[in-house]
Amino acid sequence: MISIPKKGTPERDELIRLHKECVESMKGVAGFSVLKCETPGDTTVVTGGVHEHPVLRRVLLRMRGESPKGKLIVICTKIDAEWRIGRLSGVRGVPPEFVNDKIYTDEQEIQHDIFLMRLDELPETAGNPENFEEGWKHRDDNWPVT
Amino acid sequence: MCAMRLTGYADKFGVHPGDKIKFYVNCDGPAEYKAEIVQMIHGDTNPRGPGFIEKLIEADVNGTYKGRKQIIHGGSYGFAPDAKPFHVESFTLQCWIWPTTPKTHPRYWKHGAQGLVTKWSDGKGYGLFINEEGFVELRINEHKVTTGVPIRDHAWHFVAASFDAATGEVVLYHEPQVVYALDPVIEPVKATIKTRIEHSAIPVALAAYVEKLDDGPLAQSSLPAGVVFAGKYNGKIDSPRISKKALSRLEIEQMKLGAQPGLTERRNSGPTGALSEVIVAAWDFWDGIDTIVAKDNGPYRLDARLVNCPTRALTGYNWAGQNFDWKYAKKEYGGIHFHDDDVDDARWEAGVEWTVPEEIKSRFYALKLTTTEGDEDYIPFWVVPEIGKEQSKIAVMVPTISYMAYANEHVACNAGGAELFVYRVPIMQHQNMFLAEHREYGGSIYDTHTDGSGICLSSRLRPILSIRPKYDHFLAQAPWQYPADLHLIYWLEQMGYEYDVITDEDVTYDGVARLENYNVVITGSHPEHNSGTQLDAIHNYTQRGGRLMYMGADAWYWVHSFHPAYDDKGRGVITEMRRCESGIRTWRAEPGEYYHQGTGELGGMWRYRGRSLYSVAGVGMTNEGFDISTYYSRTPDSLDPRVAFAFEGLDYDEKLGNFGLVGGGCAGLELDIVDVTLGSPPHTLAVATSAGRHTEAYLLVMEDFGFNQQGLDGTTHPRVRGDVAFHETPNGGACFSFSSIAFCGSLPWNNGDNNISKLVGNVLNHFMQDGPLPPPPADAIKHRGRADYESPSVAAN
Repeated sequence: MISIPKKGTPERDELIRLHKECVESMKGVAGFSVLKCETPGDTTVVTGGVHEHPVLRRVLLRMRGESPKGKLIVICTKIDAEWRIGRLSGVRGVPPEFVNDKIYTDEQEIQHDIFLMRLDELPETAGNPENFEEGWKHRDDNWPVT
Repeated sequence: MCAMRLTGYADKFGVHPGDKIKFYVNCDGPAEYKAEIVQMIHGDTNPRGPGFIEKLIEADVNGTYKGRKQIIHGGSYGFAPDAKPFHVESFTLQCWIWPTTPKTHPRYWKHGAQGLVTKWSDGKGYGLFINEEGFVELRINEHKVTTGVPIRDHAWHFVAASFDAATGEVVLYHEPQVVYALDPVIEPVKATIKTRIEHSAIPVALAAYVEKLDDGPLAQSSLPAGVVFAGKYNGKIDSPRISKKALSRLEIEQMKLGAQPGLTERRNSGPTGALSEVIVAAWDFWDGIDTIVAKDNGPYRLDARLVNCPTRALTGYNWAGQNFDWKYAKKEYGGIHFHDDDVDDARWEAGVEWTVPEEIKSRFYALKLTTTEGDEDYIPFWVVPEIGKEQSKIAVMVPTISYMAYANEHVACNAGGAELFVYRVPIMQHQNMFLAEHREYGGSIYDTHTDGSGICLSSRLRPILSIRPKYDHFLAQAPWQYPADLHLIYWLEQMGYEYDVITDEDVTYDGVARLENYNVVITGSHPEHNSGTQLDAIHNYTQRGGRLMYMGADAWYWVHSFHPAYDDKGRGVITEMRRCESGIRTWRAEPGEYYHQGTGELGGMWRYRGRSLYSVAGVGMTNEGFDISTYYSRTPDSLDPRVAFAFEGLDYDEKLGNFGLVGGGCAGLELDIVDVTLGSPPHTLAVATSAGRHTEAYLLVMEDFGFNQQGLDGTTHPRVRGDVAFHETPNGGACFSFSSIAFCGSLPWNNGDNNISKLVGNVLNHFMQDGPLPPPPADAIKHRGRADYESPSVAAN
């Protein structure tokens, strides 16, 4: 399984750069992907991102497959105007909580900040034998959707 | 984050002119709220589109109303009204259980003891429980006896407790059905309690206990009103019995058989003559599976009413894996799965009632609720003309069953893995935040219950916060279902068409009569969930010359049925669907649990009932992805004179729909293709396609492959595409399919001045004409195969 690139490595910096350029190009699209619109805000031609950078693709998949407990999520606080970052509780009936006070006025930009936070939070060896814990036997990986 | 202090629902989705509609409103805080009837035109607040549009309707009901807090008394249970036989001195309680959350997280929304079979409240009475620690517990008045042993979740256990009033002896049994090699032996627990049971006039509760009797908002929405039930149990219960004697272990074993009504030559009661004399109640959950009554086959007929529609037609402790349809092996289907978040009816008091005027257009409407403090909510409904009083040549068939299937969906919050298919971090709207806390509003058929089991039932008699304008769905990061269908409504309004609206319920109950007076029927963007009689009606309509415009994708996919036990509350109150062996499933039904509890029909995909989704409108869903959309290109089929009407004014090389309010293009989210081997009529034309343009987030559906392999995504797989399709039906009818859920999101672009609008306008103008459509050219009548066809490359030689 691919490792999460370490802080300060050129590989990690490159992932951040690629992700950022995709996010910037997606502003204005009623949807989102880590791909680069040739014309900003227009999905007629998309390239780059997860389609062309396998490490970026796999790191994102790893992040997306994490268990809901403590998982970062976007919360829209004013319709089509303001968004904040929250964290899922992982407990049914306990709603997400905001992680900080930062308010975003673009729904795509927040994707990039969450990517940065996850790069810091995920251990390099996530998913490898060194990280084995009891939950692996109890289907807590959450890949099967619900 | 503001809480939603205004929520509400109506007693019906579709209302006829001249009929009354009732609205149930929760106004939690503000002293009053304003209610106004509005026509809904556009629900999408995206600044790149026309923005939110509603039209105030002058109505006598518009005004200010006194606010009142209303709460949903959620969670399923059974209750049998208080009766003298329950006032026992000694007793034995017994049942089988398959608990799903015997021990919950301290922060879990209903953390605490769970009732199994109880006639206990506030330190009085008797009952069998699972306590907060996850142990079996007997309560007699204020006394508690527990095994001290954790109950394994998702496993059958036999539990029983006896009390002898004369000696005070209590015996508590916990006997797992399966014992693993390293499981400790669980001995019966014995104790002595010198007490006399204090009886009170409370019902017996199954899967709950009575917390209190009062007249607060929670009690008012309970059934029976005034009784608050707590300790809602998560899991299955099978064969609960109450006897009025402390039975021996052998007698308890015999009593598992219950009242044995089949033994008429003996006493028609009791597994033995002696035991028949001590039965208080012996509920046989296998009896009356399609009802909401738990039948007591014992001598007193103390039937229990099931509240909030727990799941039935589920395997019992004795299911042997030989029979898979409950109708033919009922006694192996005695499991009822109760959930602490089940809801069948919010049971609120009506706050606003409106008699719809006779002279009103059939349209999308809503009761708009506001307060002076900035609160807002909308309760959508549809004015549907009576059959024979149609107002237009065009009907929009509102996919209300699909709206119910997605009602109050929790996937972004429940399932961290949802990110894997939306391919980004999900965005939760304030409705999602409210629902994340208020699980009593129930979930959708896409969710799992709070205990992790799949939700297969959905009621419309509760506030459904996903059927709202100004609501972007996490799947699309754009409108989905109801607000997405308003893209189509905006376009019809903008182009000046007159149209009626009808709902899935109308078509389900009225059949082709509901459709046959229209020249053309237009679907919503995602009519995925359908009843059988609805599909019959659509087939009969197109067969008789009707014209169908299928505006979306992933339709005609899942088998739905309305639960007959709720017919007295109106049409289509509760819809049922089981996620069986194939199809896109956010949960998967357990073995032996594929047949609907309401109608007994096999659930799952219509495709596996032999009813091809491709046969309805000529296309079927092959793929889905939720990141971004793309556009369509015309194919050589579009040059066929049979379809010339559709492409007037459109160049062959034009990019069709490389813009839009859903994913930025008209081809996206979920997509259908033409496949004549799977049911598309052999003469279907695939006139435009999005082949080769989808991202790797788009994946082939699992029912289209039998072997996991690489290359199933939009960057490589040939079936990951959408095909716009046309075919003629007999008697001058036809179907035109736009084959993408995102499609309608392109209609409002540039205020409706765009090439998708042109294409749809061409088709609608052609389809809405009176009389049969012009016949196709004579040379179009010819023999065509399915898998056997003549390739153009062969024809050229």
